[in-house]
Amino acid sequence: MHVLEVLRRPIITEKSTALQEQGKYTFEVARDANKQQIKQAVEQAFKVEVAKVNVIAVPPKWRGPGRRRGKTSPSRKAIVTLKPGHKIEFFEGV
Amino acid sequence: MKVSSQRIENSQVVLRVEAEPEEVEHSLEEAYRHLVKRIDVAGFRRGKAPRMMLERYLGKEALREEALEHLVPELLSRALEQEGIDAIAQPQIEIVESDPGVVFQATLPVRPTVELGNYREISVAPEPVEVAEEEVEKALEQIRYEHAPWQPAERPIQFGDLVTIDIKVTQSDNTVLERKDLQYQVLSEFPFPVPGFAERLEGVEKGQQKEFSISFPPDHERRELAGKEYLFTVTASEVKEKKLPELDDEFAKSLGQGFDDLESLRQRVASNLRAMAEERARKRLEETVVEALVERSKVEFPPILVEREIDLLVKEGEKSVEGHLRSRGRSEEELREELRPQATKRLIRSLVLGKVAEEEKIEVTAAEVDEEVEALAQGAGERGEELRRVFRSEEARQSLEDLLLTRKTVRRLVEIASAGETK
Repeated sequence: MHVLEVLRRPIITEKSTALQEQGKYTFEVARDANKQQIKQAVEQAFKVEVAKVNVIAVPPKWRGPGRRRGKTSPSRKAIVTLKPGHKIEFFEGV
Repeated sequence: MKVSSQRIENSQVVLRVEAEPEEVEHSLEEAYRHLVKRIDVAGFRRGKAPRMMLERYLGKEALREEALEHLVPELLSRALEQEGIDAIAQPQIEIVESDPGVVFQATLPVRPTVELGNYREISVAPEPVEVAEEEVEKALEQIRYEHAPWQPAERPIQFGDLVTIDIKVTQSDNTVLERKDLQYQVLSEFPFPVPGFAERLEGVEKGQQKEFSISFPPDHERRELAGKEYLFTVTASEVKEKKLPELDDEFAKSLGQGFDDLESLRQRVASNLRAMAEERARKRLEETVVEALVERSKVEFPPILVEREIDLLVKEGEKSVEGHLRSRGRSEEELREELRPQATKRLIRSLVLGKVAEEEKIEVTAAEVDEEVEALAQGAGERGEELRRVFRSEEARQSLEDLLLTRKTVRRLVEIASAGETK
């Protein structure tokens, strides 16, 4: 699997923003990516050094009533801890 | 904040205000704190989104706009205080620069300046008022005519007669209008129903039928009639004329207004005419004095005041018939443009008079206002109570007070000008 296919998008929520203060950055990643691949992808993409990677499987959830009822797509989240002194800017500027 | 101010023509001041970077930053922060409470950003509870998210979500400009909305008025009011400027209306603000520094220019209307000419120099002599004998006779004649009863006359129709006619209007065999027993006063050059109609009736005998065609003039008010020719068939069934009563003591008594004889009626008419003439002369005199003073004075005022005066005129115009006639078929702008000279004149007058009132220490007391209200109420008769109620409101009293002040001021001016004769 190519490096660029591993990271889907950064997850930016109140919780993930709070984690950034501890040098932890959250991404949605490919479901079949392993921790090693995620580490390499982040290091290459953001030019930083990764200390550790935690992954969480996001299970599909039931959504919608009655006939519209279906499941959300399952996905996988990775919380990447950077080595001290490293930083990722998700947004340009400021 | 850096401020520079410059006075320009027409009682206006231009302020140039430059915000310090910290002030801008502070204001952006405020704007963020203000906006974040109202905006939902996905992934965050309301009010918890970081500033960066909000900026991405709304756009930087939106945040800056919000910041300016508060920053500009705040800086402006501080600048006004600092410069000691007393603005009398909303300023016109022009943002010169908004990113990253904030610079704006405000054009402020300030109090008009009035340089009074020396009104003590003005001197006028009241014109003598005379009522000519013929005027009295004419007025009497008018009263006589008004009180004359209609009486049947056995003669051809003349102008001034009241006739009863049957009328039929046709156009190429189509009957357009048919009326019986129509009362019609035959007046020369009367434009109803068609110009020339009254003239055709002249000389028609009672019981006689007359046919004639008249074309409506091409510019007739009712479009569908304009320029078309109609055949009129008119039968006169009755002719009445005014029977003028004898101008004698009997007539004076019959008016039922307490006149014992013709002489007392004549005197009353004469004194009424005199009073009216005096009133006119007084008005003219006042006008002359005020005009003279306006001419000698230098007045400078911000354009916004003229606009307000025009607003007033437009509003007044809506209430009066004249105003309606004038505004008919005109756009709002045209009307305003047309009223502009009048508004300017009125404004200058009131500014000048206000200054005179100040100089002469002319004041109107609450008691005087009460008195005037009472006088108006008396004059209004049955509706007096209603009037009193209206003038209980602060606003109405204020406008009445202004009116009284103007009146007093003008009187004083006339006094000074008349006394000036001797100096």
